[in-house]
Amino acid sequence: MTERNGSGEDRYDATDATERRHPEGTAREQAMAGAIGAGSPEDVGQGVGEASSLADEATVGAGRRETGSVSFPAFDAHHPPDKDLIDDCVHCGFCLPTCPTYVLFGEEMDSPRGRIYLMNKGLTEEPLNDQMVRHFDLCLGCMACVTACPSGVQYDKLIESTRQQVERRYERAPEDKAFREMIFQFFPYPNRLRALAAPMRLYQRFGIGDKLRRAGIMQRIPARMRAMEALLPDLPKEEKIPDLTGPIGERRRRVGVLTGCVQRVFFSPANAATVRVLAAEGCEVVAPKQGCCGALSTHAGREEESLDFARKTIDTFENLNLDNVIVNAAGCGSTMKEYGYLLRDDPEYAERAKAFSAKVRDVTEFLQELGPVAERNPLPVTAAYHDACHLAHAQGIRRQPRQTLKQIPGMDVKEIREAEICCGSAGIYNMIEPEPAAELGERKANNILKTGAQMIVTSNPGCMLQIQSSLKRMGQDGLPMVHPMEVLDASLRGEPVETLLDK
Amino acid sequence: MQTKSVVAEDLGGIVGKENVREATAEDTIDGVEPSLVVEPGSVEEIGAVMKLASREGLAVSPRGGGTKAGWGAPPRALDLVLSMARMDEITEHVPGDQIVRTQSGVKFGALQEKLAEANQMLALDPPEKDATVGGVVAANSSGPRRYKYGTVRDLIIGITVVLADGTIAKAGGKVVKNVAGYDLSKLFTGSFGTLGVIADANFRLHPRPEAVRTVAVEVESPQAARDAAQAIVHSQVEATAVELHWGEETKLVSVLLESIPDGIGAKEEAASFLLKSFGKERTLDEEADDLRPPSTDSAGYEVDIKIGAPPAELTSVLDSILNAAERRGATVSMTGHAGSGVTYAGLSGEEDDLVGLVEEVREIRTRSGGSVIVRRAPASFKDKVDVWGPAGDYLGLTRRVKEKFDPGYFMNPGRFIGGI
Amino acid sequence: MDRGRLIETMQEILGPQGVIYEREQLRTYECDGLMNYRVIPELVVLPESAEHVQKIVQTCYDEGIPFVARGSGTGLSGGALPVESGVLIVLSRMRKILEVDLENQRIVVEPGVINIWVSQEVADEGYYYAPDPASQIVSSIGGNLAENSGGVHCLKYGFTTNHVMGAEVVLPDGSIVHIGGGMVPDAPGYELLGAFVGSEGTLGIATKITLRLVRKPEAVRTLLAAFTDTEEAGGAVSGIIGAGIVPAAIEMMDALTIEAVEKQVAPGFPEAGALLIVELDGPEAEVASQFDQVIEVCQENEASEIRVAEDDEERALFWKGRKAAFGAMGSISNDYYVQDGVVPRTELGTVLKRISDLSNDYQLRVANVFHAGDGNLHPLVLYDNDVPGEAEKAEELAGDIVFVCLEHGGSLTGEHGIGQDKKKYMPKMFTTDDMDVMQLLRCAFDPHQICNPGKIFPTPRLCGERPGPFHMHPVQKAGLAENF
Repeated sequence: MTERNGSGEDRYDATDATERRHPEGTAREQAMAGAIGAGSPEDVGQGVGEASSLADEATVGAGRRETGSVSFPAFDAHHPPDKDLIDDCVHCGFCLPTCPTYVLFGEEMDSPRGRIYLMNKGLTEEPLNDQMVRHFDLCLGCMACVTACPSGVQYDKLIESTRQQVERRYERAPEDKAFREMIFQFFPYPNRLRALAAPMRLYQRFGIGDKLRRAGIMQRIPARMRAMEALLPDLPKEEKIPDLTGPIGERRRRVGVLTGCVQRVFFSPANAATVRVLAAEGCEVVAPKQGCCGALSTHAGREEESLDFARKTIDTFENLNLDNVIVNAAGCGSTMKEYGYLLRDDPEYAERAKAFSAKVRDVTEFLQELGPVAERNPLPVTAAYHDACHLAHAQGIRRQPRQTLKQIPGMDVKEIREAEICCGSAGIYNMIEPEPAAELGERKANNILKTGAQMIVTSNPGCMLQIQSSLKRMGQDGLPMVHPMEVLDASLRGEPVETLLDK
Repeated sequence: MQTKSVVAEDLGGIVGKENVREATAEDTIDGVEPSLVVEPGSVEEIGAVMKLASREGLAVSPRGGGTKAGWGAPPRALDLVLSMARMDEITEHVPGDQIVRTQSGVKFGALQEKLAEANQMLALDPPEKDATVGGVVAANSSGPRRYKYGTVRDLIIGITVVLADGTIAKAGGKVVKNVAGYDLSKLFTGSFGTLGVIADANFRLHPRPEAVRTVAVEVESPQAARDAAQAIVHSQVEATAVELHWGEETKLVSVLLESIPDGIGAKEEAASFLLKSFGKERTLDEEADDLRPPSTDSAGYEVDIKIGAPPAELTSVLDSILNAAERRGATVSMTGHAGSGVTYAGLSGEEDDLVGLVEEVREIRTRSGGSVIVRRAPASFKDKVDVWGPAGDYLGLTRRVKEKFDPGYFMNPGRFIGGI
Repeated sequence: MDRGRLIETMQEILGPQGVIYEREQLRTYECDGLMNYRVIPELVVLPESAEHVQKIVQTCYDEGIPFVARGSGTGLSGGALPVESGVLIVLSRMRKILEVDLENQRIVVEPGVINIWVSQEVADEGYYYAPDPASQIVSSIGGNLAENSGGVHCLKYGFTTNHVMGAEVVLPDGSIVHIGGGMVPDAPGYELLGAFVGSEGTLGIATKITLRLVRKPEAVRTLLAAFTDTEEAGGAVSGIIGAGIVPAAIEMMDALTIEAVEKQVAPGFPEAGALLIVELDGPEAEVASQFDQVIEVCQENEASEIRVAEDDEERALFWKGRKAAFGAMGSISNDYYVQDGVVPRTELGTVLKRISDLSNDYQLRVANVFHAGDGNLHPLVLYDNDVPGEAEKAEELAGDIVFVCLEHGGSLTGEHGIGQDKKKYMPKMFTTDDMDVMQLLRCAFDPHQICNPGKIFPTPRLCGERPGPFHMHPVQKAGLAENF
């Protein structure tokens, strides 16, 4: 049974999975799981849904960016998708119903099974061309398939190496290339994002976006730009974190925190809350000057860039005498736990990366490991907990965030139907592939609304942006979204529920 | 075509002289009298008989106990009755595997007796006494237990058939779980002897229940009957049968319950509890309550029909037929498998009134996807009313199937839907 | 019709998003759940309605183009293997639940609806759809219908054919018929629906399917019993059946399977030579009493450990261990070949011994997991594809196992179907006459033999003259067929 990169987290831990089931959780989900003897509903796959309207624009037909670029052989010798891993796939198809693109398009090429098949054909006989790349690009990298696979296929490793090959060997259309470059010139660099912040605040304050929409000009701006614009959150005032925060009471651990990029700029209250909570639970918290962990680059297959970020991150944290490195963003934590694997070829960093990764913890994972000591004050509120893919599927962390919330008296944690299906954020996916992302976002938003919860709790900035913008598009943007640490922080500080609901 | 005596001689050569005889009035089917009756004793003999029959262009009707001879439309032609009386061997009973293999001429009652020795049963309870296994399969006969166990198609696992041209073929096997090849066992179920002769069949068995009880309530109205039945159907009681009886004096819904001794009490209680809001509880008396279906001869009805409808439509089924009967001065008595949507009605009255009644009820039922089939009626009645009713859009396909299996139309011609 | 015209015609019917014609994309459809056979289809089409299906089939009929229907592509006998120069009709976009009628306990669905969705849809109301193949989280109802899928609960509840009440079918000539009565019992005519279910997609394509729903039982009890070997466990099974108990499910796993499952899923099963999972359901009092009996029987048969599931979670865990069995094989072997055979239950002990002997003869490990109640075996032949010749040996061994099943009065297949994989064995179970008569049915439905041709029967038979200029059937051209 596979362990997740040294963290020791069992993907198939029965207690892990079943504690997720809320006593008042939908009979439907439990029946579904019970009917097939699944350990938990998320092992089952998604529920009933109408055929997607997106089938109209499915990958088969219109809307593809074709450049005619062909590489043969498809893959070069530097980390092609691993044949052994591919051979683990027995073509059983259990991954299909849980794959967001299969749910949307209903075609084999956009399912994990189909993509693995394409990789295999690429290894043996087929060239890398527009069609193949299209299907690889459409993969969200959510890894729901990894959770569902009964044979333990490590699809995450396969898609990562494949994406690297695509970046190296496929010539993208100029506007595609330019757009991606732009994203990667900004998102991994908090200072540049911040530099955008001022003009963005003005843009928002003066409702320029709405004016453009009303004037009909918005429609003429390319879809991807529109998608990005729609994702812009309302900017809060930035809350700074001190370099060093002392523990309250006896010091139990000395930890470092990753402040992130999007998280730091747009969701700084979550970072501040995280530090306060850690301190309250007896941790000495170090927040060094730091850069990007490289998650977005890793997931996009930009190899050089991602390894660079990885090395720098290791450099930043490794000599600080830390027991653990705490991460409060799902995507970042998942990548940082992989550093050992990513840097396996680098003699200078291989061992250091492994040692580093062994220390990485998601904040809720860490808190449950440590055991709560600080007193929780009641927060009588209904919250829907949304599993970020990189926390649930990639790291197998489902129980701990729920436990963290349930340890707060008065909290009613609602389960969201089709929890295992991605919200469509998937790193930069919602900017690169706005249409499927929008449909998935709407689906997730609907499922959230159906819980009747007063607020949404999730630990990934990407998900937050995506779900917020989906709700806004549906005219439902009154629902507050917060990070689990913000909730716990409010409880520890004895704040009223309104503090959270007003966010 | 040869003369009768030559044919008889040839047949005698196959089955033995003593197993061929001239037909009598008792062999008549709906007023059509055959020439000869032959009794083969093995599958090979059946094959040879059929080969001869098709060579001579004879119309053939297989017969078991003759209990359902009056069903179906009158035959277009009838030359030879193929009696299965000598095919009366129970070939193999394997209690450990819960299967039985039997020739089709075995009397159904005899089969059940044999199976009971090992505490098992074939979970069918067709009402016709003296029916044979082959007849039950060919006519898709069923009784109250169909609610829990299903009908013939759900219990048959293998078959050997002989086609009109003498070809012998088998399908299925001795195991319950089997998806090799096409399921001809099901195709032949209810085929009314029009596709071929059923020589033997294999069935899946069930353990005989240790404890059996019946709970019944008197109902005042069709609605109450329907609601009582539905209450049981949607509960977790797991009843074995949910039956309706509706006659002049008796109007009740009865529920058959089976279980182990430790469980029967709880079942009875649960069923009683559910039923009591629909009427007065009643204990059943075998003699005082005539609960046999109207199709038995002594019932004194001229015409008897079978109505198929979704179970939840029982109120409408009862209402429509009672109204139609009243308006036409006919009497009607009904029994039915209320949990499954099958109702049998025995009708008494002037023939023309009954014709109108049946046509009216058929029209109403067909509107909501149901069916009305005339089972037993005088030949004159069958001249006026189509026995089977309108066939669906599958009639063309049905004809093609018939034409593949019996291109010469030798098997029971004219007796099935669409004049097949 | 040339390829370009065909693509155009299909695009006119379905829109460009419904037609796949590029090679790499076609390749992802070249096999279903059985990877041993691969054929690239000429074209893949994805209809979204019954009307689409009808028009596609009509086109194929008019042009004499063979077609194959496919659901989720998880079948294990190659039933959805495309035909060369044929069209593959993928029903995965037809996945609406059309009508729920709880009063009559029925539900009407499109063929691409996934098995588990049906139970999910009505779970809140206290109902479920009984046939539960292990693939139920991904296999489609249409596929279940084609294969007459079983599952662990079929001993008590029956198979797909016992739960399908009616179907709208597009026949190979493009016409539409409605067979079975829906929820109306005993529709007049032949039992066409009964013949259609399990016909492996060779008689037509179902576009609407009416299913029967079953009320959830009042009580469910499950236990796990460990034995020294399969013989002992088999004795317990006989004892249970002999006591007149009809369990909802009764499954057996042997030592090798237990090892693999523990590695991959870690359900915490006890170490044993054989494990039995027995489940009873029904009214509470009945279940309670019979369950005690089952425990007694297990004890009488020297069970080394008996574990009763305390709650739903534990019960789910037992089943997870069982249902993950196939996939878990990957953890103890590079490759494996899933076989599907059936023997009368009383022959199980003997057959298992013979399989073990064969395994020794071939020097290949065989793991056994099976539905002990109805004798349906799934021997998993473990091998390594990288060792030259081992794949062929494994296939041979799998074939021998099937012959053993036949020798002991069983069948070629219990639930996976004949498809492409077992055509060659059909003559071992059926005579030429048997198969000819079965194919009469095929001729009635599909006289031009364009509907999933080449499956089930080793040698197709042509069905008589076709109007118009004589077209020699490709198989006939190859000298492999005769005119019927």
